[in-house]
Amino acid sequence: MALYEGIALIQEKQAVVLDLGTDYTKFGFTGEAAPRCIIRSEFWCTSERRYKRVHDYHTAEELYDNLVHMLHLLYFRHVLVNPKERKVVVVESLLTPTLFRETLAKVLFTHYEVSGVMWADSPRLCAITLGTPIALIVSIGAREAEVCAVVHASVVLHAIQSQPIAARAIHDELSRLLDEDNNTELHLPDHIIEDIKVKACFVGPRERALQWLEDKGPTPAKSVQYPLSGRAPITVSGRSRELAAEPLFTRDNELASLPDIVLQCIIQCPIDARRALAENILVTGGTASMLGLKARLAHELRYLVTQPPYSDRLYVREFKFHKSACHDNVCAWTGGALAAAADGGARALPRDVFTRSRRLRDWPCLLDNAPPHPRPRPANL
Amino acid sequence: MAYLTQPDYVKYVCSCGQLKPITSLYFCRHCLKIRCGFCICHEVDSHYCANCLENMPSSEARLKKNRCSSCFDCPSCFHTLSTRATLAQPRQPVADAAGGDTKVENKQPKKMYYLSCFNCRWTSRDVGIPDQPVASGGWPERTNPFTTRFNQLLDYYKAIAQQEKQEKLERERKKFAIRGKYLTLTDKTGLTGAMARNIAGLPSSESGSSATIANFTPSQASSEVEELPEDIFTKDVNLKLSTSMAQRLASPAWQPISVSRLHPLAKLLSVKRSQRCRACDHNLTKPEYNPGSIKFKIELLAYYHVPEVKIISFESAKPGAKSALLLKLTNPTGHEMRMQLLRPEDLPPDDKEEPKSLDKSLEKSLNLEKDTSLYQWMQRRPVLSGPCTVNAPSTELTLAQRDDAAEYDDDAHHDAGGIILWRKSNKLALRLEVETSESATPGTEANATLALQYSYRNTVPPAANAQPHRDHTLYTVVTLQLGLVAG
Ligand SMILES: [Zn+2]
Ligand SMILES: [Zn+2]
Ligand SMILES: [Zn+2]
Ligand SMILES: [Zn+2]
Repeated sequence: MALYEGIALIQEKQAVVLDLGTDYTKFGFTGEAAPRCIIRSEFWCTSERRYKRVHDYHTAEELYDNLVHMLHLLYFRHVLVNPKERKVVVVESLLTPTLFRETLAKVLFTHYEVSGVMWADSPRLCAITLGTPIALIVSIGAREAEVCAVVHASVVLHAIQSQPIAARAIHDELSRLLDEDNNTELHLPDHIIEDIKVKACFVGPRERALQWLEDKGPTPAKSVQYPLSGRAPITVSGRSRELAAEPLFTRDNELASLPDIVLQCIIQCPIDARRALAENILVTGGTASMLGLKARLAHELRYLVTQPPYSDRLYVREFKFHKSACHDNVCAWTGGALAAAADGGARALPRDVFTRSRRLRDWPCLLDNAPPHPRPRPANL
Repeated sequence: MAYLTQPDYVKYVCSCGQLKPITSLYFCRHCLKIRCGFCICHEVDSHYCANCLENMPSSEARLKKNRCSSCFDCPSCFHTLSTRATLAQPRQPVADAAGGDTKVENKQPKKMYYLSCFNCRWTSRDVGIPDQPVASGGWPERTNPFTTRFNQLLDYYKAIAQQEKQEKLERERKKFAIRGKYLTLTDKTGLTGAMARNIAGLPSSESGSSATIANFTPSQASSEVEELPEDIFTKDVNLKLSTSMAQRLASPAWQPISVSRLHPLAKLLSVKRSQRCRACDHNLTKPEYNPGSIKFKIELLAYYHVPEVKIISFESAKPGAKSALLLKLTNPTGHEMRMQLLRPEDLPPDDKEEPKSLDKSLEKSLNLEKDTSLYQWMQRRPVLSGPCTVNAPSTELTLAQRDDAAEYDDDAHHDAGGIILWRKSNKLALRLEVETSESATPGTEANATLALQYSYRNTVPPAANAQPHRDHTLYTVVTLQLGLVAG
């Protein structure tokens, strides 16, 4: 034991992995199979005397304060380690606003004095949990569904698809359906809607969804009375249970439904990767664990690919799905825990580099995505 | 008490620009500045369980994943679970014993324990966890179903990282080797061996990593997807059987969907924190190690060092009118304090920065890490504008030192005339005049800002080479909330 402790002292402190989602934050150590905590991305704001969401901000300063409070909560109430001189892996979407990234960097490097930050994008981290060279990551989170193709550890940037069809869209639809069921405007708080969703809702198959569009729908599933504290219970009809997630699959002229954006992502990828992408789909994100969602997506994809505009542009007919090596909602986090544990955080941006340059690498920035100039010529000896 | 239950009517401006009540501020005796929870550095001091008040050394806490081994939380309502004892007959179903009045026959009844929640009545028996023969510990632990796969992946990526490192090293050596053959011959790191292997086309000596890579199986995709259960359209829903999001996420590794899979949650430890001033790295607070103690070894709270301002009463502010304001000032220190009220605009410019930045630059040359310019992001510019201004009297006030015995002295000395209303040991009350601007809109908050100049005697023993500079003149700014502007 004494020897082990001695080694631990020499070794670097175990890094932490941070996934600051819109609704839920995942936080824990690298090299562990599950995060230590999954908590709502909100904190008690003493000056405003209410719970405040990290992602509710108007100015950079407000965001800075939010992040300071949130990280304090995570470090000192949940994971119970010193942030100082410890590396952090930040799991981020490729579409994270620049302001958010940069403010988070300032908070981590100056306020918490972490020794290094590894910025990792969630599609590649999700692909890491599979171990396959090519993967199509369909991530359905709180606000947006993102589809990214990962080909040999690079994201096909021009093919990234993102649409606001995720948990929020389901919640809005569910509260609209519940109003219909009960013939009043219920104004239920979001956590009740979420509770109804996780306990009662599911995604019906394609055939039934089509039947619902006709005048006489199919026989609905059983309805249920949902008790509310201090109010009469409300009815959750079988129709609401089944149709809450329908906005994800509703097609319009924009072709912005979930199966549509999956197919569009594949079409925009290099032709030799398309078949492999279609045969390596990973559906992830908290909303992905909704009952029947993956099955419905599979059916929709197999049908839509035979229809225009895809039928004559995309010659893949087979879609295969991966089972992730973790719970759907922590897939990107787990990838982060794996990636940083494997190389000991060697890819992290060290604190002293950040304090000197005061900037982060970012893929839309020409400083980072253009080839180095002048190009080094091969040495002729 | 007023600080706990009432809104913060008086707020101090911290050196970082945040507005906070005096009870949440610290005072660094080395920098002579007010600090707050936002601009100081927090550190984990010790781990303990808040339920059994047992200390746990940090190394042990790390091994136990910061969880107490004897206390559990209810997985259903997160209340602390209690251990209950029953008598059980050996070789008899546990259910009988739970019935209560089992007849004690010849067999010796054995004490068995289970966990129960007094709040929601959940018990460990509900989910089929067998009763335990010992009161604490020994509860079956679940393993994360994904651990095996995770470890395979981890080994695989570690092997890849190892190989990458190896290749990089090899490349570097080759580059080196081209320049001159002499170096490779005198090289002591076994390069010749590696080169020989390389020429012979053999894998590098670290074959362990390549074996791991070869044996790894990537995830297999399948065209089968998890379909909806058959009976979903016909089965009644029982909301009580599925867990809420909070219940699922309370155990991130398992995330049970059905209540029958709930499992007692080992209690998360708490930490005692010590706090440090970022500018000088001195401790501002340091708690005592004993978890039962709420005392501190170091406790540099502003409440003990900075004059306290309290509002006794005020007349409501009217636009363009003057109103009265009664304030109470308290000197918390053990030394006499001279004090003067100022308008915030009369504050001397931050000349205090000058000598500081001098020794800062010295420190900077020693330690590049401590680049204070980074802390600019922490700086806030406080909003100090309000429709009201306090007419600060030009007289200097003197406050006696704090005297705990005088607390029992009842009679206050009333000063006739002047702005001092009364005086009592280290406290005094002031009658001040507040001017409200003409343009103040009725119904908006009537805020006023007041600056204080006070003398402070530093009791920190000076460093050997420093001059014994013990008396300081310090400044602080407070904002006063004087209700709403009357119509
Ligand atoms: Zn401060
Ligand atoms: Zn305990
Ligand atoms: Zn309970
Ligand atoms: Zn200090």
